[in-house]
Amino acid sequence: MTMVEYFSFLPFGKYAFYVWSAYGVVFITVATLFVRARSNHKKTLISLSSKYSRQDD
Amino acid sequence: MWKWIQRQASPKVFYQTCTKLTPWFLIPFIVLSVIGLYWALVVSPADYQQGDGYRIIYIHVPSAIMSMTVYGIMAIAGGIGLIWQIKMAEVVAKVSAPIGAAFTIVALATGAIWGKPMWGTWWVWDARLTSELILLFLYLAYMSLNNAFDNPRTAAKASSILAIVGLVNLPIIHYSVKWWNTLHQGYTVGTGGLKDPDMGIALGIMFLVFVLLYGALVTIKAKTEVLTREQNSRWVKDLVTGERS
Repeated sequence: MTMVEYFSFLPFGKYAFYVWSAYGVVFITVATLFVRARSNHKKTLISLSSKYSRQDD
Repeated sequence: MWKWIQRQASPKVFYQTCTKLTPWFLIPFIVLSVIGLYWALVVSPADYQQGDGYRIIYIHVPSAIMSMTVYGIMAIAGGIGLIWQIKMAEVVAKVSAPIGAAFTIVALATGAIWGKPMWGTWWVWDARLTSELILLFLYLAYMSLNNAFDNPRTAAKASSILAIVGLVNLPIIHYSVKWWNTLHQGYTVGTGGLKDPDMGIALGIMFLVFVLLYGALVTIKAKTEVLTREQNSRWVKDLVTGERS
């Protein structure tokens, strides 16, 4: 059984594997971009905060 | 006008503008994503030739257009940074690069996934596909060059020149389906290729979703970049110590 046949129970039948894979790629990419952007911002704030507190000591 | 631009381009005002703009991009992005996906996957009918497999174009076409648009923005911002020495233009160029690269990867990946059932192959060395792959390499080269220097101004200068030179690839990507006999189909947008109005609406909404996504990501990433660059400024110290306390 091929992947295409295996996933044919999903909406879009024989194209289900391709359609959902494509949308999955987009979802993963967008989620990664947002998570990385947010975590980098937080990391920067934390590192700057500790830098300033070291300077004040 | 020039004074207004100069004021907007000051790091502090630019940071505040990004903070204000983020929700204006993020909330419509989330709302329109839901509407666009519903229109693309449920409302719009199946294609008479490609069946439901054509639904991949709702993400492939916007990501491909945005991959080129973001490169254009990156090169223009880099040029502004070079000519007028506006640091915030350099910031916009730098933070746009990974987003544009991600759009290019999505365009290439979804194109390959669409190509398998329609063409019978994941990849061909077709003019459109190859020039889009070169665009990805240009993004990667830009990011590598930008990270190769310790001084952000020197990095911005070197990478902006590369971005401007790489602009030559954009018309090649756009006109490749006209100039060469390619396996890739001709233009999807504006040629009457989408017969049903719902197909056009779904594509329009999804395009807007990608534009808003770019706006939201640029504003978030630009804030981080400004904080890093301006970490020795008094206003950053006040802002960071204020936010953390």
